[in-house]
Amino acid sequence: MKFGTYLLWVVIAAVVGLIVLLGYFISSPLILDLRQLLMQWAVILAAAAIFMGLINLFIVHWNKVNDQTAGWAYSAILIFLLLVSLALGLIFGPDFEVMFLLFNYVQLPIEAGLMALLAVSLVVAGFRMVSRRRDIFSFLFALTAILVLLGNSPWLMGSDSTVAHLIGNVRAWVAQVWSAGGARGILLGVALGAVATGLRVLMGAERPYGD
Amino acid sequence: MAEGGALGIVVLIVFIGLMLGFFFIGRRWPVSFRSLKGYEALAVELERAVESGERVHLSLGTGTVIGQESAPALAGLTILARLASSTAMSDKPVIASTSDGAMSILAQDTLASSYRKVGASTRYDYTSGRMIGPTPFSYAAAIPNLLDTEEVSVHLMSGSFGLEGALAADFGQRENAFVLAGTSDVQAQALLYATADYPLIGEEIFVGGAYLDMGQMHDASLRTQDVIRFVMIGLIMIGIFLKTIGVIH
Repeated sequence: MKFGTYLLWVVIAAVVGLIVLLGYFISSPLILDLRQLLMQWAVILAAAAIFMGLINLFIVHWNKVNDQTAGWAYSAILIFLLLVSLALGLIFGPDFEVMFLLFNYVQLPIEAGLMALLAVSLVVAGFRMVSRRRDIFSFLFALTAILVLLGNSPWLMGSDSTVAHLIGNVRAWVAQVWSAGGARGILLGVALGAVATGLRVLMGAERPYGD
Repeated sequence: MAEGGALGIVVLIVFIGLMLGFFFIGRRWPVSFRSLKGYEALAVELERAVESGERVHLSLGTGTVIGQESAPALAGLTILARLASSTAMSDKPVIASTSDGAMSILAQDTLASSYRKVGASTRYDYTSGRMIGPTPFSYAAAIPNLLDTEEVSVHLMSGSFGLEGALAADFGQRENAFVLAGTSDVQAQALLYATADYPLIGEEIFVGGAYLDMGQMHDASLRTQDVIRFVMIGLIMIGIFLKTIGVIH
């Protein structure tokens, strides 16, 4: 890419980023209107990008079916259902009853099922972590997880027992003091990292839009 | 000026000033990094994957470009650039996946420019940066198929993840892949700690560029973060002290 073109992208990205950023600090109507306009453009572009992403997804799976690579049958099912739901949406609109049925009785249960699978996966992962990574932090992690589980779950001997109260108090102490403090510290680091990343993009030192 | 706007601008100017300052003195004052096992192991795993002709996969998460969660994915794109140049000569070039269309386009751009930089433009394939599922859980559901069919042996996760991130990392472990995972969400980080071989905690997700030697500006921003962090810790300590003695309420 020529230097002039490269510089142009950097300047456009920096100016747009700066206007949006200043909108958070300066309540000037001009800057706020500009920020609003740019954000609207970004939303439109992002929507168009989803369409591009879907085309990309279609091509990847089309190639798999075409080349009969491993798992091509899954790709064929994906393409079929993608085209069916796209056609239904385009012909009858997003408010069409069948679209709701597809969402409520296919997508939603599958995603809920995955969520349930997560609980099982986490238990297995917890055991795997303790067996593979035998250090003090893994031990503390597992101990805290068990403590919080015990502190939140109902007790067979009754939740009014002394042990249940004691565990509940320890859980509250861990969650409200140690966990909250640690989470705030982590969030502070994440926020600083996010600001630094954003500023690198703004200064053109990092160019996710290519060179 | 919005409420707190002046302070915000001052902090930003200080941040930028420190970054530029550290950038210019960086050559004379080389940065020293603390050991991060994940990034150290990654360098070894990348070499192994290239030599044995295995695939590297980078997951850029389920966040959008225009959302607040874009920062970790932008940090992921930096890692992607490094991965592309490191694996350019591999039989199986790196693949990046995301659940956002715009992010997949950025991934494609990053791959194209990285291959161009190392003189391997022909290695670029636009399907290497792909959107594999538009919602968080559909994205996670698509991961096992991708890891299996593309014969992935290095599974990296650097982006915005919620609970589905734990599943995505676990799928990598089940494929016996090397799993390095980080996100900005605190709850998801806790889950990744259990499910990933090498979890990245807190700001560690943003330091990939510096640890993978992506340039002076990454080192400078790391130093700046350290300085600002110490200032904030100092202010918090002063605040605690003043509150303890009853000066502030």
